Amino acid sequence: MSAQVATRTTRAVTTAGRTVRRTRPAPQRPPLKRDEKGLPIPHVNVIVRDTHRSRLADHYHDTLQEDLMYMTYVHEPIPRKPPRPVRLTYDPNDPYTKHRHNPPLGGNRWAKQPPPPSAPDNIIQLERIQIHTQIKSAVASRTNLLGPIMAFRAISGATEQGGGQHTAEGVQLVKGRKNLQGWVRPGLPVGVKVDLKGPQMWDFLSVLVEFVLPRLRDFQGIPLEGPSSRLDKPNAASGVVSFGLPPTALGLFPQIEVNFDAYPSTFGMHIHFITNAKGVGAQNRARALLSGFQIPFSKS
Amino acid sequence: MLSRNVVSACRQRTRGCLHAPSRSLASIAEASSSAASSSSATKAVINAAVIVNRSPILTRTSSLFERAYYAYQSRIRRALFNPFPTEFYFKTGSLLEKKFAREEKLREKEAFGGPWSLKRSDRGSEDDGELGSIQVSPDQADNMGEEPIEPPASRIHEADKEGDVKSLDRLGERNLYLLIRGKDHLGKEVWRFPQGPLQDGEFLHQAALRDLQAEVGENMDIWVVGKKPIAVYQPSLPESTIKSLAGELYTFFLKAHILAGQARPSGKNVTDFAWLTKEEIEPRVEKDYWASVKDILSDH
Repeated sequence: MSAQVATRTTRAVTTAGRTVRRTRPAPQRPPLKRDEKGLPIPHVNVIVRDTHRSRLADHYHDTLQEDLMYMTYVHEPIPRKPPRPVRLTYDPNDPYTKHRHNPPLGGNRWAKQPPPPSAPDNIIQLERIQIHTQIKSAVASRTNLLGPIMAFRAISGATEQGGGQHTAEGVQLVKGRKNLQGWVRPGLPVGVKVDLKGPQMWDFLSVLVEFVLPRLRDFQGIPLEGPSSRLDKPNAASGVVSFGLPPTALGLFPQIEVNFDAYPSTFGMHIHFITNAKGVGAQNRARALLSGFQIPFSKS
Repeated sequence: MLSRNVVSACRQRTRGCLHAPSRSLASIAEASSSAASSSSATKAVINAAVIVNRSPILTRTSSLFERAYYAYQSRIRRALFNPFPTEFYFKTGSLLEKKFAREEKLREKEAFGGPWSLKRSDRGSEDDGELGSIQVSPDQADNMGEEPIEPPASRIHEADKEGDVKSLDRLGERNLYLLIRGKDHLGKEVWRFPQGPLQDGEFLHQAALRDLQAEVGENMDIWVVGKKPIAVYQPSLPESTIKSLAGELYTFFLKAHILAGQARPSGKNVTDFAWLTKEEIEPRVEKDYWASVKDILSDH
């Protein structure tokens, strides 16, 4: 107590001894403009960042990142040789091709490329989660999409331009791209999807792992491919892990469980976990990351 | 194989290698020469040591700045949020709607503080008319007929108050590492990580697990992260000891996680053990030992 008093007095003395130069008073700003609802429009673009800490993000940075670095480390004492150009490109010095996109003939075969060298800055990490569903009855009446839109809003907490971020797209409609006879026309809404990033992504993941998957009946885990499957197929090299949930899983989300009767119908969904892993065998590295978040995998 | 591993460990922790000038395997060129001569002049004696980690079991306490930041961001988010379509999610006049409105009012009050929100509710506008009409009896005031929520357990465990370094419940926010008191290569009693010699034809990760169980018992569920060592310790030994050991001594460290159980040393070779943070390990171990492991222990 006495120490506090002592510090307080010394501080007062120092401020009293300092000469403070007089400055101009702060300019008088005109009051903020108001929108049609009468709310003030701020003079800066207000953008919302993270509103809370995420337990799983902490878990990733404390434990998983380090473990994944050790598990996926490939020792390369000598820097890699540049790849032998098996496939030809057009002569880069030719005036015609000089400033043009000049990929090797037959494509760059991105799925066959080896993963980038192990380094602390390219440890695998989860970039976003995409939830997607296709509603067949939406072809007949697009109002059938209202239930899925509201369910996805409740599950994900994402809204369009939520928090003033123009990149926050919220729940998006998926529209048909091709003309399939008697089913889909271009521009016809057939489904709903939502992209989750940041704290919303971590919250969704923890709800999925703690509430939905343990209560799902006859769920043995996400089936794995056999050991003989190739690692340089496009899906094995893209670092994305996808699986589907049956319609019964929808009622297991606590956000939906609380007023399950409000939703006209249940539907299944696809969940894509999109990581930054690239190159041969990237999907296996993505699976290692997800199993660190306690998502179960099983041999089929 | 050995020399490549040493080089890899040295590359990860260049400082550790620079501390010990007596180490011969600092570059690739030297590594190859010593690999060639290893069969004739000095053989290598390899030990496998395990750094058993107890990951944090509590989320880290936010700093004052973080709390203020998150409170500010959630206030902006609340102010900028898209309107919530109550009419879809709740039937008008249902108990659920009342409960939601009540909780929302509390959250609003929590976010924007007392006097402002009180003033708004006093005004009794048409928005607040519905909220104001919800009258709950004092016994129902906390929860609308639901069971009371248990308060969370204390973040400080009894082991922290007693200073019990053997408890796995101590310091829930930190990474803890298992350190044991046993004999080192010179027969001196020191604090070190559990370790043991490699047997013929045995892999490093297998030897690590076997040696760990030999020293601290089989009462722990252990998962060894990966098969590659994450650090190396090479003591600068006098010539006589190298002769008696029949070679240079290398101790490779592997990381492991404890999943269940507790260390139960037999008391024969290992007299004591402790679960310690990085800062607590430093004063207990030898200086050169510390130099080789400090960069792989977590600061959090």
